[in-house]
Amino acid sequence: MHLPDGLVPVGLAAAGYAGSAALLGLSFQRIARLPDPGAAMPRAAMLTAVFFAVSSMAVPVPPTTVHPMLAGLMGVLLGWFAVPAILVGLFLQAVLFGHGGLTTLGLNGLILAPAALICWAAWRVLAPRAPTLAAVVAGSGGVVLSLAVFVAFVLIGLPAEVDAAAERAALGVFVAAHLPLVLAEGVLVAVVLRVLARVEPGLLPRG
Amino acid sequence: MGDVAHGGEERRSPLRLPEDPRARLAMALILAFGFAALGRVVTLPAALVAALALAWASGDPARVLRGLRPAVVLAGAFLIVLPLVAGPTVLWQAGPLRLRAEGLEAGLLVAGRLLAIVTVTLSLLATLPPHQLAAGLRGLRVPTLLADLMLLTLRYMAELRDTLLRARLARRLRGGRPGWRDLPGQGLAMAAALIRGQRRAETVWAAMRLRGHAAGLTAPLPQMTGRDRAGIALAALLAGAVLLLDRAG
Repeated sequence: MHLPDGLVPVGLAAAGYAGSAALLGLSFQRIARLPDPGAAMPRAAMLTAVFFAVSSMAVPVPPTTVHPMLAGLMGVLLGWFAVPAILVGLFLQAVLFGHGGLTTLGLNGLILAPAALICWAAWRVLAPRAPTLAAVVAGSGGVVLSLAVFVAFVLIGLPAEVDAAAERAALGVFVAAHLPLVLAEGVLVAVVLRVLARVEPGLLPRG
Repeated sequence: MGDVAHGGEERRSPLRLPEDPRARLAMALILAFGFAALGRVVTLPAALVAALALAWASGDPARVLRGLRPAVVLAGAFLIVLPLVAGPTVLWQAGPLRLRAEGLEAGLLVAGRLLAIVTVTLSLLATLPPHQLAAGLRGLRVPTLLADLMLLTLRYMAELRDTLLRARLARRLRGGRPGWRDLPGQGLAMAAALIRGQRRAETVWAAMRLRGHAAGLTAPLPQMTGRDRAGIALAALLAGAVLLLDRAG
């Protein structure tokens, strides 16, 4: 679920860069407050590699293709580090494979990074009482939130001449195609977090 | 992901791209945003010809064209769908299908801009060794954390992919179902890959920090040459000329 180059107006693409830069600045501030900011680097790199590898795999869900996004998992496991990790993953996808876009990098960052942070916050609230529910909410919520922002950007970016009914129908098909992913990512994140909690609890965020 | 590891010598074409990654990144951004701002179909051929010239100058045009395949599919989708749904002026009708002028123009614009920008991106950046890309970002004053994160990600990417593929194969050999039907299995494989990879990554990172890499993993780049600066100037000129042409009509 990436916005490609050439679809949105150049002003919106530039605004996306500004928005992502602001979010990145905020995340750097928060990372700098950590006792050892560099300590999370290997985990962030590993998860960026997972994000890159998994979101490059398109799965056919007729009539379109979808791919796992892992925004929720990135948020839960990386916290503020999710913002740079997502932007690096998107940049690598754009420059190495032309997947996503160079001009839409900022917008694509805004589709995924805020969703990751919101899922992280939701997980922190829910996890002490209901860890499995918290993981499902984080996984599924990441897809739902990203989908909502993506649809908003497409509605702003599509040519004005596009018939409103056709636009609604196309977006409806797109959203429906992603519904299995909402469930799938909820299950996937729940399994991953459960295994990590049992085998390697050090990988889960504290507090 | 096989293309990530950059190897082999580039074939030399008479028109060669700058070698400095900062210059290439700057050129890619200037041209990409310049082409993204195009608003008329008549200027698209100029942008596409410029992009193809860059692909040729990259020394490996075949690789660039191979990389374009997903973008071509996406551009084709825009070209098919938009003329059928956008605009009131009907050019041609067959049953319920109506080809509309405004949609055709919008489809050509989106598809043309997409192909031109992706060609520029792949020509200038995908043909660079990935560690040079990280060094280029650092050279353009992108925060150290981002450049280092990118470098480490590239380091772990191939390893992690192999681990995931091995885990998937092992599950299938044990009778696991492929794809979406085995989500818990996929989750287990991902968790196992993360745990294994994390242990190794922690060790590598600790060793790097002990060796004094804490101030940044990317080696500093030499000063840009005249050719590198000329490349940036040429990109700015090209983007400006195409935009002027676009606005002049």
